[in-house]
Amino acid sequence: MKKKVVAVLLSCALASTLLAGCGSSTINGGEGKKKDAKYKVAYVARAQTDSFAAWFANEMRIASEKYDDISIDVFDGQADDEKENAAIENAITNKYDAIIVQPNNVEAQRPYVEKIVQSGIIAVATNGWDQPTEGVSTVDADPYKQAAVNAQLALEQVPQNAKVVVLNGPSGHFHSEKRREAWQKEFFDKRPDVQIVGEQIANWNKDEAVQYMEDWVTSNDKIDAIISMNDNMAAGALEVVLGKEQYKDILSYGVDGTVEACLLIEEGKMTSTCLQSAIDLAELNLETVHKLLEGEEKQIETNIEEILITKENAAEYVKMYKEKGLLKE
Amino acid sequence: MNSEKKSQIKEKYSIFLVLLLMIVLCTCFNRNFMSPDNIPNIMKQLAVATILAYGEMLLIISGMLDLSSGAVLALSGVFSVYVYKGTDSLLLAFLVAIFIAVACNIVNAIMVTNFKTPPFIATLAMQMAARGIALLFTNGQNIPQLGRYTVFGQGSIGPVPISILFIVVITIVIWYILRHTRLGRSLYAIGGNEEAAIASGISVNRNKYIVFIINGVLVGIAGVLFMSRVNAGLPNGAVGYEMEGLTAAIVGGTSFSGGVGTTMGTFAGALIIGCLNNIMNLTGVNSYVQQIVKGTIIALAVIWDIYSKNKKTTKVILVENEKEKEWNEEKSSGSIA
Repeated sequence: MKKKVVAVLLSCALASTLLAGCGSSTINGGEGKKKDAKYKVAYVARAQTDSFAAWFANEMRIASEKYDDISIDVFDGQADDEKENAAIENAITNKYDAIIVQPNNVEAQRPYVEKIVQSGIIAVATNGWDQPTEGVSTVDADPYKQAAVNAQLALEQVPQNAKVVVLNGPSGHFHSEKRREAWQKEFFDKRPDVQIVGEQIANWNKDEAVQYMEDWVTSNDKIDAIISMNDNMAAGALEVVLGKEQYKDILSYGVDGTVEACLLIEEGKMTSTCLQSAIDLAELNLETVHKLLEGEEKQIETNIEEILITKENAAEYVKMYKEKGLLKE
Repeated sequence: MNSEKKSQIKEKYSIFLVLLLMIVLCTCFNRNFMSPDNIPNIMKQLAVATILAYGEMLLIISGMLDLSSGAVLALSGVFSVYVYKGTDSLLLAFLVAIFIAVACNIVNAIMVTNFKTPPFIATLAMQMAARGIALLFTNGQNIPQLGRYTVFGQGSIGPVPISILFIVVITIVIWYILRHTRLGRSLYAIGGNEEAAIASGISVNRNKYIVFIINGVLVGIAGVLFMSRVNAGLPNGAVGYEMEGLTAAIVGGTSFSGGVGTTMGTFAGALIIGCLNNIMNLTGVNSYVQQIVKGTIIALAVIWDIYSKNKKTTKVILVENEKEKEWNEEKSSGSIA
């Protein structure tokens, strides 16, 4: 018995030590909850484990603080269609005034987003809705254009008869497929001289990209460019060749404009990315939902701007991240 | 050499024959496979999974398993990176990773031994909690650009990558523990038959604590290697890595029923998986096909394990029946009183 009590105390102590360590270091801890707010808004995020989605969720909380009449609750879809759909159903049952959905898979969430409309609740789809739907407002970043601005730059930069590798996001993901489509139409179709020597799905992950790139470097005499559907994978592939004389001129393109990509571009190690600003996206979402709640408009379809980040303007975004506390000096 | 000895040798070395055959086939498929660049490449890619596989092997031998190793790796890795960024001390960062991973494994051990929670459930709970803490701590964001910290996963001493040195040292230590210590023998006994182990005076709970602590040390080291390899603290990294470790251990002949497994078998299992991943990437095999191939290999390894065990059991029963028959015959002829 005595041993069991000691064991319980020990587990509690360990757990509290770990949690205490976490509590003090939370960044952007704004909860977005206001007791007497006029409007209750639910935000169903795709996955808190996805670094962009986690950043976006934090920015949604921060953006909601600018509106005294809006209280926001964030739910995690855990990158699982079933869980995301359940979160939407729960939000409908709890009679939120508006529900914002960041889809994990548009086709899987479509019937549930339509249910929101049928229940008379304001529905907003953000960051990955593929086509206009009656009653569903959209706030998005156009994935085709995000990749296209990089592809157009690559048209001029990638040398003749170049060998390139391509890193894709998860299969069936709207943004992943649209970005790849843009590279195909805006670059590969126009540059038949370019040869793809390796193409794999690295699921947006840096560690998977590292492994693929290590193998591609072994099996190819030269690689002139890394074409990646997000920054995480581009940074992973670059990690393998950085510092190697043979690859000093390698070009690399990503999308998202993450802190790491901006730093790499500023240092001249990465070529370009397109900013998918979670800050702009969150602010536009709250502005849109507020207009809809106040009855100023019935349905809104809007996109944030695609900003190409290159060595010329990277410092500006590094500064922005520092000011936001997302990058420490 | 009698047939029993032959079958023992076959059983013991079959995994290495499979590995050899695979290396020959891979070399035929792609000329770069055996290139001087690719060998260290495969070993570097294997480092994290192999270290996790040793932890899983020790736990499986003693009748347990760890589903939390991927998540605990991420947790210990991001804490380690955070400490390094704050203090610039590689030693402190390394020790923090080990401390966090050992702490999580002690909690696992408490749940398994003191509260009699099945290891599957206890470590599944830890998997969720550890991933959650890692995400909460970093707010889901990567910690980029680790500077000198990358030496663990990317550095080398002379021509030998440091991560390979880690594998060599850890392999020797684990081999020594299993082959030459009382702990090693106790683990086999516990996994083989826990009640018999208790009856023979083995302190089962104490040994389970020790094996979880060893697993913690291994996961902590894997956490440091993983983060330094990708030059970032990734709270959402290493998802599913516990399965990579389990796969290597099982393919290497560790039996899920406990009491069976060897260090070199697990190392060979990790090499088989690593070579397989490598050759599929070198030859540009589609991601989906890669998953099918890996799934098939796990299924075949488990079928082989069950088949060889059944064969052994049948042989034991046949020998026992034979002996009983002989004994009865001798008894009836009056040579035994």
